[in-house]
Amino acid sequence: MEKQPTQFPDRAALVAHVKTLSPLRADDGVSETRGGRAAAEALLAAIDPAAYGHSRNYLDGAVTRLSPYIRHGIVSLNEVRNQALEMGDGKAIEKFIQELGWRDFWQRIYAQNPDWLWHDIEDYKTGFAADDYADTLPQDIAAGETDSAAMNYFISVLKTSGYLHNHARMYLAAYIVHWRRVKWQAGAVFFLAHLLDGDPASNNLSFQWVASTFANKPYFFNLENLQKFAGMEAPCDYHTNKFFGGSYDDLALKLFPDMEAL
Amino acid sequence: MSKLIWLHEDCLRATHQLFTHAQDPAHDKAANAVYIWDDAYMTKMHFGLKRRVFIYESLCELAVDIYAGDTIETLKDMQHRLGVDEIITGKTPNPALKSMMHGLRETVKVSAIADAPFVQMDSPPELRRFFKYWNKAKKNAFLYDGRP
Repeated sequence: MEKQPTQFPDRAALVAHVKTLSPLRADDGVSETRGGRAAAEALLAAIDPAAYGHSRNYLDGAVTRLSPYIRHGIVSLNEVRNQALEMGDGKAIEKFIQELGWRDFWQRIYAQNPDWLWHDIEDYKTGFAADDYADTLPQDIAAGETDSAAMNYFISVLKTSGYLHNHARMYLAAYIVHWRRVKWQAGAVFFLAHLLDGDPASNNLSFQWVASTFANKPYFFNLENLQKFAGMEAPCDYHTNKFFGGSYDDLALKLFPDMEAL
Repeated sequence: MSKLIWLHEDCLRATHQLFTHAQDPAHDKAANAVYIWDDAYMTKMHFGLKRRVFIYESLCELAVDIYAGDTIETLKDMQHRLGVDEIITGKTPNPALKSMMHGLRETVKVSAIADAPFVQMDSPPELRRFFKYWNKAKKNAFLYDGRP
């Protein structure tokens, strides 16, 4: 039993050491996001709850990037909420605090129903049975080589940075489950392997919400929505994302032909 | 006899309440804190290299000793060698970590200390849909420390 070093001449040396401790993962990439409390405190000091409230759904919105630190207890939800209260009150910070509530909600479910994490909580409401979905993630998704330029962009960001904006996670999760008809569990494992903030509860239960096994209806999107919220960062032109085109009603008929009316 | 702090990936913060619990007025010296770098456990939890580097960097900012090995075996070995009579760790919903705590309790007292709650409620909320939870939680969620 050997004590491991905690001081390194530079980050590259730390990464090299972690690779020796992780032989099966030694060929993976490393995120530029730094761990530790100092990095978390810098982000905490920079939060803008009011701007978050009106811009959070846009990929260039005022999100905090605190999620990896919250996930590992480096900062607590309580600290983040208290910091937000210092910066405003009332309606201006309502959405910010509510999003912290989602994290609390998922964690409470995890504690109360750990069996829900990897099993369908309810049936799919898509008109399909669970057996209609593939068990494994297609290789083109894992490699970021799908027929959608936007999804390839999200996959590349996920794999290189270990972070995805929440709206991009929803788009990619919906693409995996509904457009490619892959079981949400396969997508959840893919996300957990790459996300710095990968949390079994937040990740898996969000996937179930998208899939409709923990919601009253499936979550999906159309190209207009993708362009509005992600177009400033991701390639969202029609020609490289054509199967997202059309109205929600048209897409619902294509994706869920046997689904009861929404 | 002494206390040992076991940090796991849900509680990587020096201000976590488990450190307060570990303070022993009978001893001048603070309890040792350890993190067990358990490769098999991390693989089971789908932790990639990005996450592992993030965790290791976070540990380097804490007063914690890192040991590589199987979590239960390493902690039990420390318990015997150091005369540990209580292991203090962070409360977690993670069943794999809870199972480890259960295994350790065969030979030593294990205290799992909860983090400061986001919101305090008079009774458990309905967890079937978010807004059932939120309608109850929002009463205190906008208050400092989540309580009146």
